[in-house]
Amino acid sequence: MFRSEYKVEGGKLIKVQLNKDDGRIGAIKITGDFFMYPEGLIEDLEKFLIGCPLNETIIIETIRKFIEEKGITLLGVAPEDFARCIIKAGEGVG
Amino acid sequence: MVEKWRLLDTELNDAFYNMALDEAIVIARSRGIVPNTLRFFRWEPSSVSIGYFQSMEEEVDIEACNRLGINYVRRRTGGGAVYHDRDGELTYSLIINEDHRLISKDFQKTYETLCLGLVKGLRHLGVPAEFKPINDIVVNGKKISGNAQTRGMNVVHQHGTILRKVDPTLMFTVLSVPSEKIRDKIIKSVEERVTSVEKYLGRGVSFEELKSALIMGFKESFDIELSSGEITDFEKQTALKLKREKYSTKEWNFRR
Repeated sequence: MFRSEYKVEGGKLIKVQLNKDDGRIGAIKITGDFFMYPEGLIEDLEKFLIGCPLNETIIIETIRKFIEEKGITLLGVAPEDFARCIIKAGEGVG
Repeated sequence: MVEKWRLLDTELNDAFYNMALDEAIVIARSRGIVPNTLRFFRWEPSSVSIGYFQSMEEEVDIEACNRLGINYVRRRTGGGAVYHDRDGELTYSLIINEDHRLISKDFQKTYETLCLGLVKGLRHLGVPAEFKPINDIVVNGKKISGNAQTRGMNVVHQHGTILRKVDPTLMFTVLSVPSEKIRDKIIKSVEERVTSVEKYLGRGVSFEELKSALIMGFKESFDIELSSGEITDFEKQTALKLKREKYSTKEWNFRR
């Protein structure tokens, strides 16, 4: 399990726990003190990210697509921040 | 005709019932059973609440809480971990229909509008409070109130805390810190970043005085009338059920 933390400009903190699967996202858990509406979709977002290559641009696009499709609102955090934190976790050794 | 809202003061309850009652009021509001509501409440025993997206194990020192008899609960709203001291902190909730004139489609704007009631109330006490995006109220740059909001069932639900007294040492006995070595450092930095009504004013301020000032602030800021009411049977029964089946369960509290 790889872990990382990323502090967003302006204060919110994202934490990621990640399993890598051949350069792709395996199991993933995104936690933190941000706001996302509706809240219940965070687990769907995590599932949606499974299999996504550990490439920052692709992760941003994947999250953006999910957010648009589901009509999600983010506050205190942006898709770029989630992606940064995921990449940071993916670079770790653990 | 000035719009009439219900004022509830449910005083001391445990963390699970407190969070369950908030949701019960949201459900009752969404069904049109109750009017828009301002609720004041406190926590007994003192408790920690964490944001919807946080991990209980990562944010809370479970062992310290168990040792000190402090409850811990996950909120239905996002945001950060909060220590709710029985005697140091006042909590409020606002439950408002989503198509109300005070509610904007813009979440950030709605935070500001609703927090303005608190800002005005604190100013009545002589505390020069200001709203600080995203969800804080500060005095001279120091945090005095944190707020969290969600919507669903065509209802906006915002709750938050107002610090009457603050004890950073206890706060960081129950919240996890990255390492023991920096616990003192964190406590010191919290002392510099956080304030309370009593600390700022340099005098004792009772819960009654604080509530009266806030009620005045909400009335003026929202242009509403607040009349004291009681929770309905429906809300009580729903809250007890939600406490039993959701907020007091491991499945909910440790789900992330």
